[in-house]
Amino acid sequence: MDWLFFGEISLAGLAMGGLYALIALGFVIIYKATKVINFAIGEIMMFAAYLFLAFAGGMELSPWIALPMAVIGGSILGGVIEKTMIRPMLGESPISVVMVTIGIANILVGLVEFIWTADPQLLPNFLPREPVFIGELYLAPKIAYGFLIGSALLIIYLLYFRFSRGGVALRATASDQAAAYSMGINVRRVFNMAWVFGSLAASLAGVLVAATGGLSPQFGIIGLSVLVVVIVGGLDSILGALVAGVFIGWLETVAGAYLGGEYRMPATFLVLAIILVIRPYGLFGTHEIERV
Amino acid sequence: MFRNILEKGRRLAGLGSLVAALTVATPAMAQDKEPIVFGGSIPLSGVFAFAGIHLHAGLTDYTNWINSQGGINGHPVEYVMEDTAYEVDRSVAAFKKISGSSSPATYYGDSTGFMKAIASELNSQGNTLMSGASFATVLTDNETYPYQFIPGPNYSQMFGIILEYIASQGEDGDMPNVAFVYSDTEFGKDPIENGKARAAELGIEVVEEIVTKPGSVDVSAEVLKLRRVRPDYVVFHGYVLSPINEFMVQMRQMGLDTQFMGTFWSSDKLIIDKMGADADGYMGVMPYNYYDSEESGPMLDALRAQAEKSDPEAGYRPTGYIQGWFNAMVWTEVIKRTLDAGKELNADNMAEALASIEDWDTGGIIGIPVTVRDMSFPVGRIWRVNADEGRYEPVSDWIHLD
Repeated sequence: MDWLFFGEISLAGLAMGGLYALIALGFVIIYKATKVINFAIGEIMMFAAYLFLAFAGGMELSPWIALPMAVIGGSILGGVIEKTMIRPMLGESPISVVMVTIGIANILVGLVEFIWTADPQLLPNFLPREPVFIGELYLAPKIAYGFLIGSALLIIYLLYFRFSRGGVALRATASDQAAAYSMGINVRRVFNMAWVFGSLAASLAGVLVAATGGLSPQFGIIGLSVLVVVIVGGLDSILGALVAGVFIGWLETVAGAYLGGEYRMPATFLVLAIILVIRPYGLFGTHEIERV
Repeated sequence: MFRNILEKGRRLAGLGSLVAALTVATPAMAQDKEPIVFGGSIPLSGVFAFAGIHLHAGLTDYTNWINSQGGINGHPVEYVMEDTAYEVDRSVAAFKKISGSSSPATYYGDSTGFMKAIASELNSQGNTLMSGASFATVLTDNETYPYQFIPGPNYSQMFGIILEYIASQGEDGDMPNVAFVYSDTEFGKDPIENGKARAAELGIEVVEEIVTKPGSVDVSAEVLKLRRVRPDYVVFHGYVLSPINEFMVQMRQMGLDTQFMGTFWSSDKLIIDKMGADADGYMGVMPYNYYDSEESGPMLDALRAQAEKSDPEAGYRPTGYIQGWFNAMVWTEVIKRTLDAGKELNADNMAEALASIEDWDTGGIIGIPVTVRDMSFPVGRIWRVNADEGRYEPVSDWIHLD
């Protein structure tokens, strides 16, 4: 066993898993507060990455100005989607709402093809290119710095949800909407805030992932692959999103390195199948008891 | 950005008008003879639209050009197409609609999946000869696909050309080694087994095989595997752009002096435009001369003139454009040979005419005379990116596989 190689592979997997966790966080925040499974999360990521391309590539702004602009643009998009397309669906069946999010995903794909064409794109380089070594372990710079930036946002989010009024309102709404409403919490505003925050996390992940793997109108498909992470962690668990994201990233990378790239997905779906059998609500998800 | 949207709108409107004009109006030439129809399932939208738009432009421009030359033996040519979004079911529906209404002599298929799916219907109809965007090795199986051909070398032959080039860079006992990197798709896996067999014949060791999942977001683990074996060459297949850029950049960051090569769909100028200086040294196998190469010839000059005429502002035309043009050129040659022999224009006779092509001068589209082998044109050349000049330059002679 080459432990140095194993260490490097594991490090790369954990770092990639950090980005998965960020995407999963965007998914979970929206679901936790609004009970909407947002199938357009990947396309929101994609849209933010294209915004970054437009700001940093087309308008030639500094990437460090373009990055927050793109992320804020993505979060505004999330807010607008909630207000104009999801809110009118309140009270409708969950399937209808899911179909709306799938429709939104298709609209966003069409929109970016119209504006930026279907050509594959690369984002302007904005992360340092010097190799990163942790001891003797090599880590690709884009993944290393992407992980650091993503982790910073994760920490800010965790602190916000724990200590701020907005965060408490969000958690209260997630816990019991009726009780939160009766306590004077503006539930509709919380819903909108959840979409904005969820989309913000997804947007940042979108730019960081696209900086590594390139960008095209099909980029949003990654949002669906992160669905595995969310189900394994628990649809309504932020802790689950973080733990499962890092674990699935590591597992996928190690399976790819030792078994071959074609075993990446089977490995993660095997874990998904096992988790669904043992804990259908995910590792950290809420086990809802239905009384009939 | 707003101006960009308006520009796109104008182009789309122009494209729509062009399609309408081509599908409705008959060219005002050679009106006394029945038109010959080129049909097409064209991916103007969807995942393959980046190439489909240019394939369509190449087919359209060739049709206009051949009509300006008097058509095929006096028959005007009509090009009838439908957008498929690169979805097999829509491609099949387009084929049924077009073959039902227009009886196309030849047809452009947008994917391997479609060409495989439509094979039994194509075989039973026996009216149409098909080629298209696919270079899949399986389509050169004449038993199953007697009426389909490849407008260049198939992917296994592309690997053969690449490996011959690599072998030419070594000596007996000191042959370079190679790693194959491909996507976990039918497209990606196509030439691998044949490539390994050919490498063994040439004495080239395949030191690593890397399979990446489609849409792979991070390849740093795969790069680490390649660092352990330090290949002299890495051959990519099954990609258009990403993750080729990441492999090249990360391996160079690690100090490896590996050279990087790719097949048709990853050897366009897109790599240079998007990667910039990082693309320098990347090599691709290409059966056609590039639009901006220094090569010339009567047909290549005609292509450039027609491209300039149809859209003076387009500038460089991607390899997809040339591929579309070359498909239509082969159809014309095949139809002409069939008509000249006094035979009925059906799939059997056209397939026979295609197989008879030997030492055919393509007028500069391909740099040497070409001979059809197993319904393909097994010829190509290795081109290398000169990032300073922003284009590919030839680094090998034309290689024609027997």
